[in-house]
Amino acid sequence: MRFSSAVIIVSSLLLGGCATSSSPEPKGDSVVNVIKQECGNSEIIIKDIKGRKKPDGFMQVQVIGESNSNTYQRLEYRIVWFDKQGFTIDSILSKWRVVPAYAHQPFSINAVSPSTKAKTFRLYIRNEKEIICDKQDDGLE
Amino acid sequence: MGLDYRDFQAAAQEMIQSMIASGAVSKPGGGKYVLAVSSVVNDTMQHIDTDQLVKKMRVGLLRSGKVVVTTAVSANGAEDKMAMQTRKELRGNEEFKQSTVAKKGNMIAPDLSLSGKIIQRNIKIDRSTQQVEYYFQMTLTDINTGLAIWEDEQVIGKRGSNKSVAW
Repeated sequence: MRFSSAVIIVSSLLLGGCATSSSPEPKGDSVVNVIKQECGNSEIIIKDIKGRKKPDGFMQVQVIGESNSNTYQRLEYRIVWFDKQGFTIDSILSKWRVVPAYAHQPFSINAVSPSTKAKTFRLYIRNEKEIICDKQDDGLE
Repeated sequence: MGLDYRDFQAAAQEMIQSMIASGAVSKPGGGKYVLAVSSVVNDTMQHIDTDQLVKKMRVGLLRSGKVVVTTAVSANGAEDKMAMQTRKELRGNEEFKQSTVAKKGNMIAPDLSLSGKIIQRNIKIDRSTQQVEYYFQMTLTDINTGLAIWEDEQVIGKRGSNKSVAW
């Protein structure tokens, strides 16, 4: 399937090492809500993005969305992971992946970082027609 | 209707993520596991180089920082045969400074073994259409205990004309 437009978005979660914030580094299993407001379009809504640092050092991200569409939509998402210096961590886990959004059904995305070096991430979600969501948040609360 | 690199990539992505998320590759107390790659059986009707899948998984696991892969042990003997052969041939060879030759007892035995199987199922949808399902099944075994500490299966389905189905 060919995607005529892309990008979306979403977030950058900082679990420590943020030079612009004095917030303490969350310990393992601390959950950080990345977005507080819904984003999306009339058919696809991203309701919640949260992340945590697991006790073994890997980051875990969960995205909850809902489809208001009358038809099935084939969404794709990609998560780019960054180390504490802001450099991308090259990994097969950063390739585009498919997530199905069935008509009037919720959907979720679950991902883990490719390495324990991951400190932040950026999430992109796209469908074949348009940008679904364009929002960025530092994540720390 | 056959498998292409995207299918191997998708399967490897899911497998690596599943393995990391399960915590199976996180060694209690820290450190890295040593992984040996066992066999991945191709039980399909196509010629598949299973290394396409295994290599992607190996790279992903290595980059996780939790696993190192041994090339000295595999289902078919040493994967890097020259490395093994060189050790033996150079040991005692007067042409080589023996202090620079790999010593006995230095190789690290694997903790884990990765094995798997790819299965194909053909399903007739109607008179002109068939669906081919490929099942990627992988298992991570703790060599010390013989217990499977992680297993997963990914299914990739493809639909097309009867004429294009490879039996």
